[in-house]
Amino acid sequence: MINQIRVGRQSAIRIFAQEYSDSNLPLEGVGEYAPSFIITKLGAKVNRALFGGVIDRFERRDGDNGPSYSGQLRDATGGIHRFQIAPFQPELHADAEELLARFESGDRFLMMMVGRARWFESDDGGIFTSFRAEEFCIVEREVYVNWLVETSEATLRRLSAYSASLGSDNNPEALETAGVPSDLIEGMILAKDHYGAFDPESYRVGVLQGLSMALNSNVEIETMMASSESSQSDGDLGPSSSSASEPEKPNSEPQGDVEDLILNVVRNSSDVNGIPYDSIVLACTEAGFSRESSEDAIEDLRDIKCQIIEPRFGFFQILD
Amino acid sequence: MTDYEKYAAQVALVKEECKDADNNEIAEEFRRYEEEFLIEPNDAVRSVILKFMKASGQEIKSISNAQTRVEKKADRFSDLGSEDKNVTIEVAVVTYVPRVQMVRGEEKQIAFGWIEDNPWESNDKRVRWDFKDWGSHSENLAPNSVVRLEGVSVNEWNEKRSININRSSRVTVLREGGPSVPPVSDEPVTIEKASENEGYVNLLARIISLKPDVIVKRDGSGSLDIFRGTFADSSGKISFLSWVPINHEIGDLVKIEGAMIRKFRETPEVNINDRTKIEKYHDNNFASTEELSEVTTSKIGDLRNGMKDVITTVQVESWQSRTFTNSDGEEKTVRSGDIMDPTGRCRLTAWCEIDPKPGDFLHLTGARVQFWQGSPDLVVDNSDQVSNLTDAPWESIDPEQHWVDIELSKLVTSGSRRGIKTKGTIVAIRSDSGIIQRCPECRRILRESACLDHGPQQGVEDLRLKFVVDNGIHNASLILGKEPSEKLLGNTQEAVKEIISKTSQGDFLTEVRNNYLARKVTIHGRSLVDAQGAMILAEGVTFDDTSNETAANLVMEEWGVLL
Repeated sequence: MINQIRVGRQSAIRIFAQEYSDSNLPLEGVGEYAPSFIITKLGAKVNRALFGGVIDRFERRDGDNGPSYSGQLRDATGGIHRFQIAPFQPELHADAEELLARFESGDRFLMMMVGRARWFESDDGGIFTSFRAEEFCIVEREVYVNWLVETSEATLRRLSAYSASLGSDNNPEALETAGVPSDLIEGMILAKDHYGAFDPESYRVGVLQGLSMALNSNVEIETMMASSESSQSDGDLGPSSSSASEPEKPNSEPQGDVEDLILNVVRNSSDVNGIPYDSIVLACTEAGFSRESSEDAIEDLRDIKCQIIEPRFGFFQILD
Repeated sequence: MTDYEKYAAQVALVKEECKDADNNEIAEEFRRYEEEFLIEPNDAVRSVILKFMKASGQEIKSISNAQTRVEKKADRFSDLGSEDKNVTIEVAVVTYVPRVQMVRGEEKQIAFGWIEDNPWESNDKRVRWDFKDWGSHSENLAPNSVVRLEGVSVNEWNEKRSININRSSRVTVLREGGPSVPPVSDEPVTIEKASENEGYVNLLARIISLKPDVIVKRDGSGSLDIFRGTFADSSGKISFLSWVPINHEIGDLVKIEGAMIRKFRETPEVNINDRTKIEKYHDNNFASTEELSEVTTSKIGDLRNGMKDVITTVQVESWQSRTFTNSDGEEKTVRSGDIMDPTGRCRLTAWCEIDPKPGDFLHLTGARVQFWQGSPDLVVDNSDQVSNLTDAPWESIDPEQHWVDIELSKLVTSGSRRGIKTKGTIVAIRSDSGIIQRCPECRRILRESACLDHGPQQGVEDLRLKFVVDNGIHNASLILGKEPSEKLLGNTQEAVKEIISKTSQGDFLTEVRNNYLARKVTIHGRSLVDAQGAMILAEGVTFDDTSNETAANLVMEEWGVLL
């Protein structure tokens, strides 16, 4: 066949939270409609993904342009998929409100979601990955488990491509000869140029968790849902520095006061438009505070203590 | 080696433009570009020329048409005049065809092709021009890429303008395209390889079919005698069209030098003209005509729009004939029917008298493929192209059950096909699913109660569902008409209408999303594949019935995972 370049829809990559949240390499498209991607360590080029898990956090934020929602799904690897629904997606708001009502009533449930990759770069260069929701629904266990199996297979395929790439030069011809499937070659080259050495075994552990859930789905998923519910109910009682519900465990004990840290971060931001929400949270989690407690503290500083303001939705400045 | 010797080739190029510049100074400049700016000499030519042209302001004036040397930036071809030189413009490369041409008694590798301006807009807003590449920029001018051209010039001949890309022009790739076109080689290539790109090739192949044909000129000025046929080697077969007589016979092994591969619809074809050399070749190891029958015989699953001289065997599912009066007032009969083979199904149209019965096996030779409603169908023109087989080539296929299993990735990356079955996960529910209004004249969907062709209309209600299915690597649109939609929803069109009127379109979509999003489904129907992507018109969609446990075990087996 004569080669054709198709500018079609991007396929939804099946990916576990662990692999996606480990990624910090964005690839921005050149040209008006060119898609952007997050490149994972295993070489997946993620523009769109199909992911699932138990709902772990879901909240609405009201901005000048309308409501937006953010939440987290925790999957079998223990990692979390962060997602947002933007003010400019009104077609999703009715379903999001319904979801919020169920979530706030204390109900926890499995969800599947299709989302587009997005990211924030903090001032110190940290990359925050998340998804903008495109479609979502609450699913029964069978559907979620089916996704676990498909995602396990997709991850195994990437693991195998990664190990095939180890003895090969990092160029398309060599990787193709080494047996890397064509859809992974471009991402693999970028990944190997960017990421340092890492142990792919941790991804295999995630796969094993997924597959064993598929085979004994009842017991383990019940356990997962139960643990999520208990961790959430802790969180509901007030700011908690427990990291039980956070996959990215702090490397060290939190130091100092989270509010001082936030004020410092916001004050030192050089951006006249204000510092993005996620950058503040990143700074806090890197300092060892849990995401929940940081988010609560931001809200507290904005709404109660009135020390910071949010002039534009999602961007913060010091109120002088 | 001095700088001058090292950069002699590049210095010579600069000297063509800046005659008075000093050789050593030019060479020193190339050295700086290479060592200090890390720019290879060939990429630096343009910058160096500009520098020396600027350095000698008076010299610029001394060049006869000084103004044209000033860089001219253009967004559209329409901004360009016939005398413009040193032009900078961004373009999309459509084709790139290398060839060897004699230039002033010297064999030179040049290339020509099409480029389009306005490359970031959709195709209908672009203008297409020819270009010639005199500077061997093949690596940066791959078809489908978007490039910035600097230092190119406009050429006008017979009132038609084109772009000359010169040795000193700079080509910067802004968006990668397909694989770059390899330079012309003298060695013969396999037919499989030759089919990959348009351009000049040499082939070593056997003539499988050959017959004279006539092309009637559109302007009525007469007709042209031509020859059509097929070449084959062990890698495949390819049709050819010759504008000159072919003095060889069917079965001959020939060496073809300087033939041109052109795409006819979706199918590459060899063009032979008076500059092509064809001579008989002797090689006892080359596959015989009989041995080549494997590659010369097609299966329904391999048919592509534009194929000619198709040899295939099919089973007839149904057969009808229809009489009509053509534009000349003649009464004509066309016969057609549904046919199948183990790889799929399609339609067969016969412009000749054949009347097979359902279940008959036909062997077709010299058939051609035409697109009808997006799928490739076979056409025969003479009854001697058809023979009814007495011996069944395969156990009779039951048309009711005949859906050929094809993996979604394969379906999406091959041609349009009927009679297929595939699996995928639903990853999107299109918001125009549900009750729609169609034009009573042409069945097109009404937008704001009006048809594009027939104006405001009282629409005819219809039901359809539109999804996207995906396997994590490839995806396709999935469209269900009324019947399969009713079956999948377990509701009649009337019932769906009532649900929507009692709630809302949004509630209906949420309901569909809750029931089908992220679910794996088995689909049977037909596929339409074009440059925009793939679409499956479903005749039926059901939930995939593989249990999760079975699926998990299959994955563990395939990837050697032990728990």
